Amino acid sequence: MTASLAIETAPIPIRAGVGHWLSSYVMMTRWELTSLRMLLPLIVALQVVIGGGFALGIGLFFDQMPVRNALYLSTGVTVVTLITVGLVLGPQLVANHKTAGTYDFMWSLPVPRTTQAGAWVTVNSVIALPGMVAALLIADLRYDLPLRITLSIVPAVLLTIVAATMIGYAFAHAIRKPMITQLITTLVIFVILGFAPINFPPDNLPRWLADLNLYLPFYHMAVVMRDGLTEGLVTEVGISYLVLGVYTVASVVVAAWVIGRRD
Amino acid sequence: MTADVRPRAFGGATIVQTGPRRWLRSYRMMMRFDVRGLGQWLMIGIAVQVLMGAGMAVMYGFYLGGDVPDVVKVFIATGVPALGLIPMGLVMVPQMVGQQRIAQTYDFIWSLPVPRLAAAASTFTVFTLMAIPGFATALGVGVWYYGIALQVSWMVVPAVLLTSLMCSSVGFGMAHAVKSPMVINFIANMIVFFVLLFSPIIVPVAQFPDWLASVHKALPFYHMAQVIRDGLSNGFVTEVGTSYVVLGAWTVGGWLATAWVVGRRG
Repeated sequence: MTASLAIETAPIPIRAGVGHWLSSYVMMTRWELTSLRMLLPLIVALQVVIGGGFALGIGLFFDQMPVRNALYLSTGVTVVTLITVGLVLGPQLVANHKTAGTYDFMWSLPVPRTTQAGAWVTVNSVIALPGMVAALLIADLRYDLPLRITLSIVPAVLLTIVAATMIGYAFAHAIRKPMITQLITTLVIFVILGFAPINFPPDNLPRWLADLNLYLPFYHMAVVMRDGLTEGLVTEVGISYLVLGVYTVASVVVAAWVIGRRD
Repeated sequence: MTADVRPRAFGGATIVQTGPRRWLRSYRMMMRFDVRGLGQWLMIGIAVQVLMGAGMAVMYGFYLGGDVPDVVKVFIATGVPALGLIPMGLVMVPQMVGQQRIAQTYDFIWSLPVPRLAAAASTFTVFTLMAIPGFATALGVGVWYYGIALQVSWMVVPAVLLTSLMCSSVGFGMAHAVKSPMVINFIANMIVFFVLLFSPIIVPVAQFPDWLASVHKALPFYHMAQVIRDGLSNGFVTEVGTSYVVLGAWTVGGWLATAWVVGRRG
C-alpha cells in the first residue's frame, strides 16, 4: 500500500514531443536489432542465397534465356529480396510473439507505439538492402544485363520496402490468430513467386490474372524498380507510384488503428 | 537383486508376443495411431499438396512465357507431379518428427508396445498415400493447361510408389538422425529451395552445366523425374533401370539410417 501511495503523491512525468519520440525510436531500433542478433547474419545470408539462387536457378529452365526474360528476372529478384522480409518474415515474427505470449509485453514498453513501427521499417531496410544488391550483382554477372540505373531507384527502393513492410505489419497486428497469419504469409510467397508478374512480364499471365495484379501491390513494386534499373522496359510508372502510395497509406491507417486501441 | 522386475500382468510372466501376425496387427494399429495423430493436419497436408501441385503446374509456364515448344510442355507436365511428391516426404515427415521432439512425445512413441519397425513402416505408408492426391491433381492440371496428350502406362504405379516411399524414408531417416528440430527445419527448406530451382525435374538435364548434371546423377531428384516421366510419356527417358536402382538405394539408405537410430536405446 505504501508503494501505491507514493506513486499517487508523486505522479510519473509523461514525456512527449519530438525529442522523446526520436530517442524512443533509436531505442526500439536497437531493441529490434538486438532481439534478432543471432538471426540477423543468417537472415541476410539467406536473402543473398535466395535472391542469387532465383537469378541463377530460373536461368536453368531456359535452353538459352532471352535478354528480355533475363532482364525481367533479375529486376524481379531485387523486388523479391526487398519484400519477403516485410511481408513474410515480419508477420511470422509477430505471430510467434502472439503464440509465445510475449506480444502484450512488447506493447507495455514505455515508448510511443509508432516508434516500434518505425524501428521495424528501419530494421527491414537493413536486412533487405544487402540481399537486393547481391542478387542484382549475381544476375548481372551471369547474364551481362543492359542495366541503366538512375536516381529514381532511390524512391523506388524506399517505397517498395515501406509499402511491403507496412502491409505485412498491418495484417500481422490486425489478425488475432497466429495460424491465419502463417497461412497468409505462405500464400503471399506463392503469389510473389508464381502468380504476380514480378520475375516475368505480365503478358506471360492469363489476361484475367494480369488484370487482377493491377489491383495488388506486387506488380507495381516491380514496375517502379524496373523503372529505376532499366530503360524502356516499363511505362506508366506514375500510376504504380500512386497505387503503392495508396497501399502504404492504407496500411499505416490500419496499423495505427490496431496498435492504437487498448483491449 | 535377482527378483523379477517385469510387470506382473496376468498373474505372472508378461507374454512377449512375436511373429508376423503380431507385426501386421501392430502395423495396422500404428497406422490408425498415425492417421488419428495427424488429425486435421492430414486434411491440411493433402489440401496444401493439391494446391501446390496445381499451382506449380501452371507457374512454371508463366516463367517460360508464351510460345513454349511441345517438348518443354511435356517436360513440365510430367515433372511437376514428380516435384509435388517431394514436400510430403522430405518436408512434412521431418517436421512431424521435429514437432514430436519439441512436444516431447518423441520418446513416448518409441515406448509404445509395438515393433519399432512396424511404427516406421506405418509412417512410410501413411505419407506415401497422402502424397497421391497432390500427384494426381498436378498431373491433371498440367495436362489440361498445356493441352498435351500423355501416354500413361502402368509403370507409373511403381514409379510413384517408389518415389514417394523414397522421400518419406530419406526424410524419416534424416529426422531421426538429426536431433535439433531447428536444423531439420532448415535442411527441409534448403532441400525444397534446391529442388525447385536447381534440379533437372521439369527441364532436361542437358540444360544443366556438366558438374551440376553429374551431381544429380548421384542425388535422387533427377531419377525420380526419370521414372515418373517414363510412366507418363513415350520416348523421353532412357536407362530407366539405373534410375530405379538409384532410387532403391536411397530408400534403403533412409531405412538403414532409421533402423540404426530407432534400434538403439537412447
